[in-house]
This record gives sequence, C-alpha cells and structure tokens, in this order.
Amino acid sequence: MAYLQMHGITKLYPASGVLANDAVDLSVEENEIHAVIGENGAGKSTLMKLLYGLEQPDAGEIHFRGKHVAIRDPLAANRLGIGMVHQHFKLVPDFTVAENVVLGMEPRKQGLFIDRQSAVKDVTKVIEEHGFSIDPKQKAKDLTVGQMQQVEIVKMLYRNAELLILDEPTSVLTEQEIESLFATLGNLLSRGKTIILITHKLDEVTHMSHRVTVMRGGKVVAVRNTSDVDKRELSRLMVGKDILLQVNRGPTTYGDTVLEMKEISIRCRGQERPLLDRIDLQVRSGELVGIAGVGGNGLAEIEDVIGGLRGATQGSMFLNGVDVTSFSSEQLREAGLAYVPADRLHRGASLPSTVRENCIVTKHHDFLRAGVLQRRDVREFTRHLIDQFSIAASEGMPAGNLSGGNIQKMILARELSGQSNFILFSEPTWGLDIASSQFVYEKMLELRERGAGVLLISSNLDEILGLADTILVLYRGRVVGRLENTDTLSKEIIGEYMLGLRDDSHGPHETNQTEVRRG
Amino acid sequence: MAKQRVAKLLSTATGLILTIAISFAIVILLILVLSDEPGRAIYFFFIGPFTKAYYLGNMLNQSIGLMFTGLGIAVAFKSSTFNLGGEGQAYSGALVATVILLALPNMPGIVGGPAALIGAVVIGAFVAGLSGFFKMRWGTDQLISSFLVSSAVILIVNYFVTGPLDDPTNSMLTTARIAEQYQLLLIFKPSKLDISIFFAVATAIGTYFFMQRSHWGYEMRMCGINREFSKYAGINVGKYLLVPMAISGGFHGLAGGITVMGTHYRCLKGVTAGLGWNGIAVALIAKNNPLAVIPAALFFAYLDAGAKAAMLHADVTFELAKIAQGVIFFLVTAQALYGLFDSKKKRKKVAR
Repeated sequence: MAYLQMHGITKLYPASGVLANDAVDLSVEENEIHAVIGENGAGKSTLMKLLYGLEQPDAGEIHFRGKHVAIRDPLAANRLGIGMVHQHFKLVPDFTVAENVVLGMEPRKQGLFIDRQSAVKDVTKVIEEHGFSIDPKQKAKDLTVGQMQQVEIVKMLYRNAELLILDEPTSVLTEQEIESLFATLGNLLSRGKTIILITHKLDEVTHMSHRVTVMRGGKVVAVRNTSDVDKRELSRLMVGKDILLQVNRGPTTYGDTVLEMKEISIRCRGQERPLLDRIDLQVRSGELVGIAGVGGNGLAEIEDVIGGLRGATQGSMFLNGVDVTSFSSEQLREAGLAYVPADRLHRGASLPSTVRENCIVTKHHDFLRAGVLQRRDVREFTRHLIDQFSIAASEGMPAGNLSGGNIQKMILARELSGQSNFILFSEPTWGLDIASSQFVYEKMLELRERGAGVLLISSNLDEILGLADTILVLYRGRVVGRLENTDTLSKEIIGEYMLGLRDDSHGPHETNQTEVRRG
Repeated sequence: MAKQRVAKLLSTATGLILTIAISFAIVILLILVLSDEPGRAIYFFFIGPFTKAYYLGNMLNQSIGLMFTGLGIAVAFKSSTFNLGGEGQAYSGALVATVILLALPNMPGIVGGPAALIGAVVIGAFVAGLSGFFKMRWGTDQLISSFLVSSAVILIVNYFVTGPLDDPTNSMLTTARIAEQYQLLLIFKPSKLDISIFFAVATAIGTYFFMQRSHWGYEMRMCGINREFSKYAGINVGKYLLVPMAISGGFHGLAGGITVMGTHYRCLKGVTAGLGWNGIAVALIAKNNPLAVIPAALFFAYLDAGAKAAMLHADVTFELAKIAQGVIFFLVTAQALYGLFDSKKKRKKVAR
C-alpha cells in the first residue's frame, strides 16, 4: 500500500450545497513530491483540509504508513507526522523565529517556565540540519515573505513532520524566493521527507514533482508521472473540455465607452510584484467584456478597484467619462456603478438583515420622506423585485434564510434595479447550481442587449467563452491576452494564457525573472 | 412575519424571566444562609422598593439617568462602535449644564434649562466623538480611547468642581446651587422623582424610531451588522465610526445634565458616578433595543432600591447587598450575552 492513501473521500458543504470532494482517491508514495493541481474550486484545498484534520470528511478513509487513521484536528495530524504550510502564514509578528516555531510545544523548565535557551538551541539545530538561512533570534515581523515561509516549514519539521503539505507555496514569493524554496524542497526530499504540493502553476509541477494528481469539479480526473506529461496536456486536463453552458449570444453593436481603466496598478510596499500591473481596460455600451484568470492573479483586485473598496496606487479610471479614480464607494454608486460581488454572502448581502433591508441598501435615499424611510414604499419595491426575479423569499425574512441561488438573485435584483449602464459581475455563478447560473447568464445578456456595458470577472472559462465579446486574460496582475471571442478561440488557448504559457504583453514592468530550475 | 416576531419576542421574554427567577432564587438562598432575620431581609430586598411612595419614587428617579446612558450605549453598540467612556461623558455633561445655569441666574427656566441641556449634549458628544474621530482617522481602538479620554475628563471635571467652581459656603465638594427656576418639577413628593422621566421614556421611543425608520438609523444599523457590505453598497462607513459615538456621548451628557437639574441641583464631586458603567449593563439587558432600555433601566433601579431598603431595614450588610445584586446582574447579562453570541453563531453557520 502506498505511503499515504486517501480513498473515496467525499465532502459536502450543506450550507452552499457544494460537493467539494466527490469520492476522491489520492495516493502518495514515500519520499516523492506529489503535486495536486486544479483550478480554484476544484477541491484540492478541501482535500488537504481533510488530510490535515481541519475538516472532517463525510465519507472515505485515510491510510497513512499502512495504518487506518482518523485525523480529528491538526494536532492529531502533527502527532502522525503530517505537517501543513498554509498559503497565508500564521506567525506572531512580535515573537522571534524560535518562539514562533516552538509555540504550542515549548520546552519547559521545571514544568512551568518556557526554556528559551533550549528553544533557540533546538530550533537552530533544525535550521542548520536543513540548510535554512534564518536567524532564530530575529523577530518574525522583520522577515521577508520567503523567510516567513521557511519559519513555517521549520515549525513543521520541529514537530517531526514526515509528510509536508504545501498549499500554494509560491503564490506570494518572488522568483528568487521560489528558486530557494525549490532548493529547500530538494533538500527535504534528500532527507527522506514526502511532500504534497498544491498549486495551479504548471511550471512548478513540471519542475519539481514526481507525480501529479489533477482535480476538476471535486473529482480526480487524472494521475500521471510528471515525466510523461507536458504543460499543455496538464492545462487541458485542468480546464476540461465539456461545455455545459447553453446561451444564445446575439449580435451586438458597441456604443460609447462606459468604463475605462488606464494603466491601473496596485503595488504593495515590500512586495516586488505588483498585484495589478498597468491594466488597460475598456468596456463599451452593448459590450460584454470578460476577464479570465486563475484566482490570485489580480481578478479580486480589479473587482475591488472598480467597486471603490481599494484604491489603485497608479493610473486612472473613468465611468461614463467622469474621472472616478479617487472616488469612494459612495461616490461611485452615485456615479451609477452597479456591481455584483464575488463574495455574495458577506459583501453582497447582509445575512442577518431582512430581504427588505438588503434590497434597498444601495438606494435607500429614494425611500425617504423628511428623513424617514417610507415603509410602504420599501415593501412595494421589495415585493416588486421578488416577483420580477422570482426570488423564493418573503420580504421580511432574514436574508440568511435564503438559499445561495436566491441570495444571488436578490443581489442581482437590487443591482439591476437602478438601470445602470455599466454593471460589474464578479464570479457571479460560483457555487450556484445550473438553473441559477443560467438565470444569471440570461440577465447578463439581457443587459448587453439593452445597451449596457457589462464586465464579467470569472475564473470559469465556460462562462467567459460562452458570454463575452472581448476577453482579457490576467496572469500575475498583467493583461497577457486581449482576445476577440471568435469561433476560432478555444478554451485551450485561453487556458494557456491563464496559466502563463502564452503572453502577448511585453513582460512584467520590472524584468527580473530568473529561470526556475529543478531543485 | 408579525407572528414570527411575536414568537421570537415571547421566547426572549420567557428566557429572561426564567433567568431572573433563578437568580432571585440564588439570592434568597444567600440571604437565608447569611442573614439572622432572613424573612425580613428577603421582604425588603424584593418588596422594599414598593412599600413606601418615597422608595418607589426614588427608584423611578434613579432609572431616568440609566435610561439615557442605556440608550447611548445601545445606539453605539447597535452600530458596532464601542463606548466605554460613559462615566466621563456624563460627568462633563453635568458640569457644563451646571456652569451654564450658574452663568444665567436670572433667565426664565424655559430658556436657560434647554440651553444647559444642549450644552451637556454637546460636551458629551464631543468627548465621545473624539474617540470616533481617532478611529476614523488612525484606526485607534475605540474601547481603549473612549475609556482613556473619559478617565482624563473625570479628573478635569473634578478639578473644576473642587477648585475654581467650589462653593465655599458649603462643606461638601460641590459647585453652587442652580437657581430655583431651573430645578425640574417634582411629581411624586416626597421622593425626588421629577418630570424628566416622561422625557426619558419619550426619548427611548424616539430613539427606537430613529434607529428603525430614519435614514441615519438605517445606515448605522447596516454598518453595525456588516461594515464591508455597507461600504460595498455605498454607505459612508467612515462617518458611522464617528456619528454613533457622538450620539452615544450626547445621551450620556444629557444624563449628566438631567441628574443635576432634576435631583441634585448642583454638580457634586462624582455626581454621576456609576451612570456610565451601569448604562452598559442596562443596554446589555435590553439587547441594545431602545424600547427595551425602559424596562431594563427600571429593573436595574429596582435592584438597587431593593438592596438599599434591605440594608436600611434588615441586617443585610452593604457587601451582601452588592453580592446579591451582582449575582442577579451577572446571570441576566450572561443570558443577554448568550443570546448575542447565539445569533452570531447562527449567522456564521449560514455564512458557511
């Protein structure tokens, strides 16, 4: 039997009705680097959460080193020798490296006091053994991102982890740091460790891993030896071929530009790579522009900038010809912005509030008479929206009682009620069933026919290809492809742009790419 | 919908009544153990406030200030802003009202009185608003800044009361007495209950409608429930770090001013002590519902009056009275808080 064997793992999230893992099998051999790849929402993170004890599977078994194990929580996973390095680091900024590493299993003096000296000594030993370049006495807040990641790995090694799970380890690293991470992984491998690498970056898979498991839609679609596949095949496996989407996209004529971004960038202090890198974007009336990309490549940032929830550090933005670059969300709404956010349960709706209160939030000013909300008008308006969008709800119900699809319908109803001529949709069908998705698609196309400009941000290629007139592909915060949606355009081509295999732009702003070598 | 609401209200009320019953039982047990004349002690503890018009009136009078401070806290908490500086805000309101009234000894009451109360509201709003402004500008924690600012303000007010404004003809640490025409009409003599109780009740009802029906109230509530949602929808969330704090401070200042004009007629040192903290307690019992603040304040005042009566008429010591009060209060707030966390948990479940 394999070193790690996960068999028939099934996980359903009842609240959203998403079947995140559907009878998944994963088998990892001892002392290999095993990549698990897939698009966002493919279920790879869920699978790892189940392995690390952060969540419990609804069905399925885990065998580790020949034994059937039940992993109730991360501590149990640690005891078994399974360690996980999360995408977002969990360090205490004011603690030193050594203190962070021993946190939770500190060496004691007289059973009561923390023995700092032996903590430093033990941690130094782990650091030296594995050839890391961090100082155990340095404070975590003074470390670079790459060093923080090293601390996280050391933390797991200190807990005697034999199997290390790395969740998207390169997403926050610079090229040099990635190279050094790969060297570290090679080193760990030579010391007999086993590594599971979760990623959606094909370079890493082909450079580092021995075997690869490809997931899509909560299922395992392929397991391959890395030496037997190339990136193109992997990308085809990841995005899949079956198009479920059935929409009728009629011809359209473009009018004036409704939304325009010029050289919009977001740079964060201390990070080399900008989150958005000189984005030029234009949405004309009657046009449906799709922005495709894998999560983490700038989709969420574009949403935030347009919605006024995050300022760009550079560039300018125009809505109907008005310079809205420095507008607050309030001013943007006044300027006619309508927007369906990706995070519909937190940003798009207030679940404890009633459907009524949710429906009027963007335009409650219209219901005032002498500063008092006119309840009859509010009720009528809400009922009208409920009828018009056939939302399965009553107006006084808390929004949290609605199903995911109906919450999205409620948000759509609200955002479309203002007759805006520009509407932003971000991941509008994520987690929705087919009927609800279809409803959303029809609404988007209706808007386009009405002559509104529609911007669709989505990591779902089917919907981008099925709906958009113009397609922009984001990779690492840059627009790497600007494509007309013609019959010759295929998912495979967009997929290659999304995964960085094609790039029509002139490279990143600061060109300091180093060739990534096998560690 | 109305049916659901009534059912919810009923279940909340039964829960609360049950908790109160249990806490009363514990207090009775305590008194049985610790008192030599438990029958008398229990009688005065629970029935005492109703035995004499004087006690009853004073109990009602005490609830007035609590209603105002309770409302102040309820408004702040409903908007997810946090005001721990009620003590200083109320005290500064008392001082400013007194100063205005002492400066206008010959005005008609109908002019000077409102002027004093407006002054009290403004100073309270300013003191609390500072914390709101800090939060808006620099993200300072409101719990801490409001508490610290208030602690400093208390010392400043103490300085004025015991220093430049001290009345040399009076042996107490206090300012001079305000003129006759400013002293609020007593309506239940010989007790100190004054006419402002109607004002307090009306204010609570008004606040309820303000929060539920007005434009500001709606935006404040939405910000309180989900700030990101509010920002997304185009509500000026920065403003609502400041506005609820200022309103909250205004209520506290008003409590201070009314305490001076209705009960003490002068600004004694520490005249409003306890009003700020107890306002938090009242708001917690009321679950931040402005209407529920009325019974919550009455309940709080009742407990206090009972403890006083039991001390006066039975062998209940100050300590026992305070412990008994503490037990009841602890259980009732815990029940109120439990409801709060409960609904949060439910919310989380749905969100997942």
